Amino acid sequence: MINHFVPKNLKEALTILNKHDCYIMNGGTDLMVQKHVSTGLLPKFDKDVLYINNLKELDYIKKDEEGIHIGASTRYVEIENSPLIPNIYKRVIKEIASPNIRNMATISGNIANASPAGDTLVPLVLNDAEVVLTSANGERKMKVDEFVYGVRKIHREKNELISEIVLKPQELSYFYRKVGSRKAESITKVSFLGGVKIENKVIKDFRVSFGSVAIKTVRNREIENKYIGRNINELDINEVINDYAPLVTPITDQRSNKEYRHKVAMNLLKKFVMDIKEGGINE
Amino acid sequence: MIHQYKDSVKKVDNEEKMSGMAIFTGDIKMDDAYFAIPVRSSISYGKLLKINVPNLPKDYSFISAKDIPGENVCNIIASDWPVFADKEVHYKGETIGIIVGPNKEKCLELAALVECEHKEFEPVFEMVNSYVHKEFKKGNPDKVFANAKKTFSESFSTGYQEQIYLEPQAMLMYLDGEKITIKASMQCPFYIKKAVVRVLNCSEDKVRVIQPAVGGAFGGKEHYPSLMAAQLAIAIVKIKKPLKMIFDRKEDITFTTKRHPSKTEITAYLDEKDNILGVKIHVGIDGGAYVGCSMVVLSRALIACNNTYTFENVHVIGDAYCTNKVPSAAFRGFGSPQSIFAMELFINHLADFLHVKPLDLRNKYLVKTGDITPTNGIYRDPIILKELMDKAMEMSDYKRKLAEYSKPGSNRGIGMSTFLHGCGFTGSGESTIINAQLKIKKDKNDIVTFYTSQVDFGQGNRTTLKRIVVDTLGIPEDHVIYDAPDTDITLSTGPTAASRTIIIVGGLAAKAARHLKEIWKDGEEQEIVEPYVGPDFIKWDEDTMQGDAYPGYAWGVNVVEVSFDPLTYEVNIEGCWSTYDVGHAIDERILMGQADGGLAQALGWAYLEKEEAENGMFKQKTLSDYVIPTMVDLPKMETALIDNPFPYGAFGAKGAGELTFAGGAPAFAIALEQAIKHKVHKIPATPEYIMEILENED
Repeated sequence: MINHFVPKNLKEALTILNKHDCYIMNGGTDLMVQKHVSTGLLPKFDKDVLYINNLKELDYIKKDEEGIHIGASTRYVEIENSPLIPNIYKRVIKEIASPNIRNMATISGNIANASPAGDTLVPLVLNDAEVVLTSANGERKMKVDEFVYGVRKIHREKNELISEIVLKPQELSYFYRKVGSRKAESITKVSFLGGVKIENKVIKDFRVSFGSVAIKTVRNREIENKYIGRNINELDINEVINDYAPLVTPITDQRSNKEYRHKVAMNLLKKFVMDIKEGGINE
Repeated sequence: MIHQYKDSVKKVDNEEKMSGMAIFTGDIKMDDAYFAIPVRSSISYGKLLKINVPNLPKDYSFISAKDIPGENVCNIIASDWPVFADKEVHYKGETIGIIVGPNKEKCLELAALVECEHKEFEPVFEMVNSYVHKEFKKGNPDKVFANAKKTFSESFSTGYQEQIYLEPQAMLMYLDGEKITIKASMQCPFYIKKAVVRVLNCSEDKVRVIQPAVGGAFGGKEHYPSLMAAQLAIAIVKIKKPLKMIFDRKEDITFTTKRHPSKTEITAYLDEKDNILGVKIHVGIDGGAYVGCSMVVLSRALIACNNTYTFENVHVIGDAYCTNKVPSAAFRGFGSPQSIFAMELFINHLADFLHVKPLDLRNKYLVKTGDITPTNGIYRDPIILKELMDKAMEMSDYKRKLAEYSKPGSNRGIGMSTFLHGCGFTGSGESTIINAQLKIKKDKNDIVTFYTSQVDFGQGNRTTLKRIVVDTLGIPEDHVIYDAPDTDITLSTGPTAASRTIIIVGGLAAKAARHLKEIWKDGEEQEIVEPYVGPDFIKWDEDTMQGDAYPGYAWGVNVVEVSFDPLTYEVNIEGCWSTYDVGHAIDERILMGQADGGLAQALGWAYLEKEEAENGMFKQKTLSDYVIPTMVDLPKMETALIDNPFPYGAFGAKGAGELTFAGGAPAFAIALEQAIKHKVHKIPATPEYIMEILENED
């Protein structure tokens, strides 16, 4: 017997989660597709389902000294339109799926789905964003980068739900590219985000993340630290490429092949580094 | 009201489709209907030794070849595709039987429990075993080719394409007394009827096919519904319950027929002054496990393989190959887009080889009125291809852009294609195979009703055919009734295919209406049955592929402009300009719908739509993996029509539905070649393929 729970408030949701192992249904744009059976039949769930998409308590965007707090059931479209949200997130969200999907889907769902092709993971990981995990026993925070640890693998306990995302605004200039198979309604084949801060030709911050090229979003702080403090004239494109090339380990599937994904990831990285050397990131 | 033909009218189905009121097959409620779920082969090729069916609960049945009262043959053009695989299976996914019962979920569960014992054979997935071979010549190629001073050869290939009609395959079948009644998403009501009559070995009056609203077809519903109908018919005579078979998108993409992949090899034979003495062309198409209609697709591909050029000596060879994959079948263009793609690229590449401008080389060999066709027929209509080209070049600023984009580092390209489409069934098929008859009658109140078997699956013939009759009779629109086909009422005017609806059936409707007008007596019941009579000049020998292949040809020019991103190898379509000679357009807006839609679908085939078969099974099974262009992928398309009335069609109209597909892929590929400064020999030209070209040749 599968139960479908529609709680009235967060407290009730957490009480249910304390007793039942549930799928958490938010916008449903991934889950409903994954559980689809056949035309005319109900989707098939193998465990209980908790619906949080109508919880007003989880629908907010606010800013304080810690960062920008986005409630778990806040839709992409609200994030796209909010003056509080840094442009890099808006830029990434605008290229996700289509307007009708963005009216339903959420960042928390994108994180929990933990697909290597999850588009918001790329800026979340690069900018050190955190998830807030809430249960009846309290809450804890974790970096998105650590929370997602593999394909469809996240560090969520059965009694927890993602209640909030905390964005940490950075003083970075960004270069972002999503490469899908077409311009809309497209699952990412490879994506790239570079962020940099330069003062007097010296690199003060340097970050790179790749999507869809490994089991999770690729980011490596060790490599980044190596380039922080360097003068842009001493930045060697081949050195950067050689550092990142082994971390980009894509697969061949029905959407693309590993050679293409690797090559394009490296082309975009090269473009990012060249732009730094030439004095500016425009995007 | 009598319409000015240029003026467009509101399509009669606009409101019902836009408001959601239209009733499609899946919308028809029938509470006691049983569901039919196919049991499919898990192997590509082998002997079927035994089918192990689980114990079935009450009300559930397994229907297979042993239940067939008539022949185990699906009546397509060739009679080789069995309704249910019996002694052998020939492709992964072939239907072995169906589970029928009241609960769909239970049917799915039971279907998954049916197991087959096989003796597996080595499957063949490559184009090596020909099951249809055709060959014909024009001039004296053997002698001329032997004396050639130079030759130039190339090979081109095209991929699968899935139709992606909005409404997946759907069929409802029920008994109305003794009569098997079928409502389905279809193109050809009489094909379905014939298929059922043949598999049941019953009389014609036992089967009735009625067309509900149909959501797109593109050739994909020309033959496949016949297979579904034959399967359900076997079940319905046994269990006597209404039956529903409605495919999910994934099932539809994975197991229904697609466009034939192709490989075309062309050799040009040249004299010492670089004149083309003639061409030798081999077109190979991948027909899949059963011939079905592949021999006719091959015919069309071969007849079109010289495209818009006249060569004095021609040797054409074609093979359809048997592979252990889902059979390929009809799709907008029916083989000709594949060979036209090859010839358009070839003529461009040959120009490079000869160091002449492609436009000059094309013009030198461009078809003129009175030229001999590759099958030794005559191009009789006034040909206005040069005007079409001039107009398209002017609209697109072609010459300036061509020069500008050839500069190094431009990453832009512009490409032009010219193309033709033979309208109607190939050869004398209209008068020897189809024999359309159109019934028109008038009641005592002078209300005229006419009947055809043409399905309006969105392309607009419910509107246009009605208009032809209204305007011919010169009576008010609401005095003419024209409903969707019902095989118990209408005579067969043939399938909704081959761009024949307006040129052939439209012509027939106009003729019938003219005859009714001639004998018109107010207040009397009158009826006319008008048979199709082809033009006298159509003489065709199918065995030798000689003669006039079509009653008329429609012509077109596409110009496509692209930009290329060297970082990601992605291509963006920046502009599309088209000119067409469709004779006379009866309703321009409907034609513009065909123009935009046909080109969009052709561009999808050219650069986005990748369907790879791996071990006999398609890899892209969903709409997120098999991607077709969205609105934001395509620019605004500009189209101009040049009037050139055709004497045998209604109000001078020729066919238009398939023509608009023919030139998109070569125009795109030629533009891409300029943008990437490399030659292209294959579509879809995905970013992955473009990277490969650039990496390998650099």
